[in-house]
Order: sequence, then structure tokens, then C-alpha cells
Amino acid sequence: MNVRDVALVGGSTTKFGVRPSTWAELAQEVGAALFREIPELRAEDVDSFFLGAAEPERFAFQSHVAPFAAEQMGLRPHRIIQRTELACASGQSAIRSAYAAIASGLSDVAVAVGVEKMNLPSMAEANSSMACVMDRAWDGPHGATAPPFFAMVAQRHQLEYGTTDEQMAAVSEKNHRFANSNPEAQFYEKKFPRDKLLRLPIVAPPLRLGDCSSMTDGAAAVLLVAADRARRYTDTPAWIRGTGQYSNFHNLANAGSLTEWSGLRHAAREAFGRAGIGADQVDFAEVHDCFTISEIVEYEMFGWAAPGRGGQFAADGQGDIGGKVVVNPRGGLLGCGHPLGATGVAQAVEVHRQFAHKVPAARAVPDPEWALVHNLSGSANVHSVMIYQAGGAA
Amino acid sequence: MSVESRPRRPAATLAPAPNETTPTAPPAPAPSAPVREKKPFLLDFFPLETADQTRLSRFFERLKEGTVSTTRCPKDDLLLWPPRTACPVCHGETLEWVDLPARGHIYAFSAVLGGAPLGMEGEVPFAVGLVDLEGVPLRLFGRIEGHPWNELRIGQPVRLESYDIGDGRWFYRFRTET
Repeated sequence: MNVRDVALVGGSTTKFGVRPSTWAELAQEVGAALFREIPELRAEDVDSFFLGAAEPERFAFQSHVAPFAAEQMGLRPHRIIQRTELACASGQSAIRSAYAAIASGLSDVAVAVGVEKMNLPSMAEANSSMACVMDRAWDGPHGATAPPFFAMVAQRHQLEYGTTDEQMAAVSEKNHRFANSNPEAQFYEKKFPRDKLLRLPIVAPPLRLGDCSSMTDGAAAVLLVAADRARRYTDTPAWIRGTGQYSNFHNLANAGSLTEWSGLRHAAREAFGRAGIGADQVDFAEVHDCFTISEIVEYEMFGWAAPGRGGQFAADGQGDIGGKVVVNPRGGLLGCGHPLGATGVAQAVEVHRQFAHKVPAARAVPDPEWALVHNLSGSANVHSVMIYQAGGAA
Repeated sequence: MSVESRPRRPAATLAPAPNETTPTAPPAPAPSAPVREKKPFLLDFFPLETADQTRLSRFFERLKEGTVSTTRCPKDDLLLWPPRTACPVCHGETLEWVDLPARGHIYAFSAVLGGAPLGMEGEVPFAVGLVDLEGVPLRLFGRIEGHPWNELRIGQPVRLESYDIGDGRWFYRFRTET
């Protein structure tokens, strides 16, 4: 079967944070921003629409959200309209679905959007919503949420490899510093030097507040088109060159090793294989730093750091500009906040902006050609990876 | 136009105009005993346990007798957790019940010091962990009672126990050995 080349030709995000806006208002806002960002885009050109939303039934008590969001954005898709739900990876899932639709010829012009409204009057209710990402009947009653699970990952990584709280803080400091150059980030105006991070309260030992991404309201949108249409919308297309995904368990009892994320190795191998490149060729990566320890394990699973050396890699600044690979120049989930469905789409927006040299110097990756986007979901039981290439021709 | 920058309606306009008389409020009803609202099922993580709701009700009946059990696929000689109705390997639906060993050792643990789900806020701080059960290839996640979280250690022996959650349902957790 012939697979068509697919380009990401632009995107937009709302301000991320604790927003005095409803789910629907966030969708309208990101739609308005998308049409501002891509003046050549006409609503009637959009044949397909993919909405990444993790828990609108919980956070907004709204189902059937794909047509709901399309209406907010003024779109009337006529080929494919669907919602993608993959918890924290729902946004990337929307982009992957749009990619598949265009590559197969079913769609020519598709919008992929992520929307999440998480801050509610009741924090306990919001926490319950987060907890039902886990196996609600068997892990939920014990109080399983993301922080204690990733805390156990950190505990085992510290035990097995000697990773330190200071090395974890180095990840948080870097991503918060990048977020200080991103006005759309939740923590754009907040400074988090390492000594401050190490004094923040413990949320789930050994994780402190600064090791955890936050509950965030936000939306992001991207436009994907078939190769022959890319130039109508941009001079700097981001070509999707490879994708990979892997799911190997759900209940926490079946996690196996907490420090070896074999699913990520599989997903990365698939994506690199399709793109025809190796990890060393990646100029920058938007990876899923829902917790500092996640980014440390990811350095290792992608092969940028040796097994067990992710903490040292962070402390040595190897994920910073000037290091081995620039990781999370957007500010990461730690600095931008993590509106579940919007995160994966916002990461892709950053890829396009970096390729188009439309980011402030403080986070600009020098002459990037290859970019990688990664999301994990749930208890790191699912991994999704996409690889983009900058450049002229399809 | 930015909707969020629109100033809020001044509170004063919501008050009755000075020349209006406030209608007399109807008499308050006599106070009755407060009704204790039942937590909505879909915000309560404990599963429905009875045979009209689940084919795994035997697990919960055995819990009431003090024992944690699970299903095993005899064809694949595979111990399954959580208990299931079909084997994930051979997809056979003839599984057998087996009791699990009560003793285990902590593989990893943490604690919830804040951000607990609805209904668990009063239990904070509480410890949770992954426990390797003795003699079987299972590592179960669960609440760990008996010691505060900062006195737990990896490798510490714990025992599975069942407990009444207070509304007729039972669940299981770990307790440190004294």
C-alpha cells in the first residue's frame, strides 16, 4: 500500500494554567488561535477532526466531545470525526490518528486538537478523576494515583543506581528555566532554582512538589495535511517520519521492573526504524516529564544515557542546550503544566515552532533537523513516540 | 475581546433597590436528622462485590473469611492477578480459585501525603507499596498499614489482611509484621 507523506504545517496553544474558562471556552480559544496562526486556513478545507481528551466526562461532565469541540472551533468535518482517549497521551493519539488518516488517503486536511479542563472547585474530585486512569477496582481502592506510583519508580532508581534528589531537581530546574521563555507555560513567571526545589514539600516520598507536573487547564491544536498541500500553509513543514507505540500492562501488579520501561524501548525502536534514523541524530526531544524521574528513565530508554546513568546525564546538563540532546525546550510538563489531552498536541506545536525558528533565543535549538515527541500514559504502561523532520521537500 | 478581562458585575447591582421591600421569607422547616449522602458509586473506587454484579464474587466471599485468593489457569499453569474470568494466554474460561500466601516483602513503597482521591482525604498520610508474595510469582500493589511511611523499608515483611470497609463490602491491604 502506498503511504502518503504527511506534514504538520502549524499549530497553536492556549495559555496553560488555572484558567477561569470552561472546557468549551478553551476549545473556542484554541480554535481562534489556530486560525490566527494559519491565515491561509479555511474552515471548509478541514475534512477530518481528531480530538484528544482524556477525561471530559469527569472534568466537564461532557461526552460526545469531538463534535462538541468541532462546533466550538467552527468546523464541520465531513470525512472522519472522532475522539482519541489514551489518558496522558490522548493528544498525541489524536495526531497519530490524523497522520494515519492522511497517509492512507482517507483525509487530506485534518485538525488534531487536545483539550483538558482539570481545575475544579473540588480538588478531591479531580484527584479521583486522575485515579481512575489506574485499574479502578483493584488499584484504586488503595489510593493509587500517579504520584505514589512514580515515587516508587524514583525509589527503585535511587536504590538500584544511586540516583539522587539533587539529580531529579536538575531536571525540574532545566524545564522550569525553559518555561520562563514560554509565555503559554503555566509557570512562565515562576523561578525554581535547585535549592528552592529541594526545599519544597514532599508530595509522595521521595518526590517533592517540584518533581511533579500539575493539574492544568489548556488546549492545543495542529493542522496536518497531505504532502502536496503543505506549501499552501507554511514554508517550514514538519514531516512525520516515524511513529511507534507499545502497551504491555495495565494493573500495577503486572508492571515488572519499575526502572526498565521495555514498552518505551519497543515504541522507540519502531519509530526510529520507520524514520530511518538513530537516537544520536535527534536534535531535540519533547518527552513526557510528568515527574522528574520519568525524564531520567526516558534518557536511558531512548539510549541517550547508559542504563542507570540518567540522573548523572541530568546533573551534567546533557539534556540542556549545548548537551547531547535538547530535552523539553518548551518547558516540559513540569514547566508548562499537564492538561492531559492538550499536552501531546502542545509538544507538536513546539516542534513546528522550533523548525520555523519562531521561539525565543533562550530555548531555541540551533538548526534542528530531527525532533522526537514522546508521551507515556497511565503508570508508564503505554508509550507513544513520533519523529519529525524539518525541511523543504516531502 | 477577551472574555476573562471583562469586569465582574458590581455586587451592589444584585442587591434590592433601596425602595423595594424584601419579601418575607417562608418559615424554615423544622430541622430533621441530617441525611448522610451515600458516595456516588462512580466516585467510590471499591468494586461492587455481589454475585448479581460480578462473576468474581467468590473472591469477596473468601475475603470475608480472611483469605485473599485469585484465579489460576490450569492449562497454562498461570497464576493471574487481578482475578479474571478468561485466561489472557489461552483465552480459556475455565479458571480455578486458589488461596494466596499471606506473607510477602516490600519491593517498593511510597505514601500519599496530599492529593488523595475523594473519600480518602481523612486517611492522609497513608503508605502504599508493591509487595512480592512469598512462594508465588506475584507482586501486588496495596495500602500498607502498621507503621508510618517513614518507618518502612524495602524488604520489610508484611502480611495480607482483609477488612470490612463499613458498608458490607470487604477489601484487602497489607500490614507490617510486628
